[in-house]
Amino acid sequence: MSLDVTAEVLERATIVRVVGSVDSLTADALSAALQVHLDEGRARLVGDLSGVQYTSSAGLRAILGTMKASREQGGDLRLAGVSQGVHRILDLAGFTSILKLYPDVGAAVASFAD
Amino acid sequence: MSHTRKRVALVIGAGSVKCAAALGLWKALSRHGIELDMVVGCSGGSLYAAVMALGYDVDTCERLTRELWTRKITERRDIRSVLGGFLPRLFRFDGRFATIDDRALNETLHGQFGARRFDEAKIPLHVVATDFESGQKVVLSEGSIFDAVRASVAIPYVWKPWQVGDRWLLDGCMSDPLPVDVAIREGAHAILAMGFESPYPRRVKSASRYAFHVSSIYTNNLLRANYSFHNLAHHAEIIPILPEFDRQIGLFDTDQIPYAIEEGARAAEAQIPYLKRLLDVVPG
Repeated sequence: MSLDVTAEVLERATIVRVVGSVDSLTADALSAALQVHLDEGRARLVGDLSGVQYTSSAGLRAILGTMKASREQGGDLRLAGVSQGVHRILDLAGFTSILKLYPDVGAAVASFAD
Repeated sequence: MSHTRKRVALVIGAGSVKCAAALGLWKALSRHGIELDMVVGCSGGSLYAAVMALGYDVDTCERLTRELWTRKITERRDIRSVLGGFLPRLFRFDGRFATIDDRALNETLHGQFGARRFDEAKIPLHVVATDFESGQKVVLSEGSIFDAVRASVAIPYVWKPWQVGDRWLLDGCMSDPLPVDVAIREGAHAILAMGFESPYPRRVKSASRYAFHVSSIYTNNLLRANYSFHNLAHHAEIIPILPEFDRQIGLFDTDQIPYAIEEGARAAEAQIPYLKRLLDVVPG
């Protein structure tokens, strides 16, 4: 499955909608798509993962790399709409204790209150 | 640029009967012509890893493990060890404690593996245990398969550790419940990781259940910590295959083996298209 990444820039945060599987064949594309926003100073990112059913170790590394880079810029990568399958993988890898997860995009965007 | 086939490993973590899901995964791989280059097993996973590596077909593996992992192997208490635990001087406690007599387990495992050795395996096999003295992980890749599996399934407080060479070895779950690092070290490019968290009982009804519960807390946290580290520290592709069980499967619920196999196959099938694309081409 290929990966489809689209973005919506809001005043409070940038929503990055991801559809597909985040694995070793697609993780670089996801990292690059997220990096574009970091390069342009948009470090408050919401990853809408409601369209992602699976992530492998490469996907976990992409998520962690972007989270670290965004936090270094004073922002954050927060995840919304994480499916049950992806949540199990995030949980097994200990990511649910370091990432902020929200049930939907609205809640994730609202969490970036000034 | 030359191209070589990616090396595929299957890592079966601790999980008693749930590890049968690995047979379902293997069925799915076989159906799609995907071959394994190595199998790594820990604790209950070592049983399945061993029978798979020895080249039995899936149905035979199911039958063998079903015959092996029965309540018969826990029927007899190790009274002397238990008494020794409470009255060490009187009963000459030997430093190794168990509540269950291991003779039935040993006989059953011996019946399955006999004198089979690692170098007879059709697929390279690695079994993980834990050094009782140092607490270090021990990877067994040669010698007697019986010894390796017996050591790897030495559940603390249930069965005594097992001596291999000059070391006493305990359940691999105590050091590395899902040993993906062994596959990384052995050069795997794609690692199918089938891991299971230990279930917590609804009620802790006895001291033995209390001990099991406490062990489960340790090992579940260890599983997450290790898995997290290896996912982030290496560039091998770790592909978690996590069956979704809609029911609790206990330590000896062997009647649930067909269900576990079915769910293992289902979880694996979902990743087959990706795995096929991943294995298609690799820089050599």
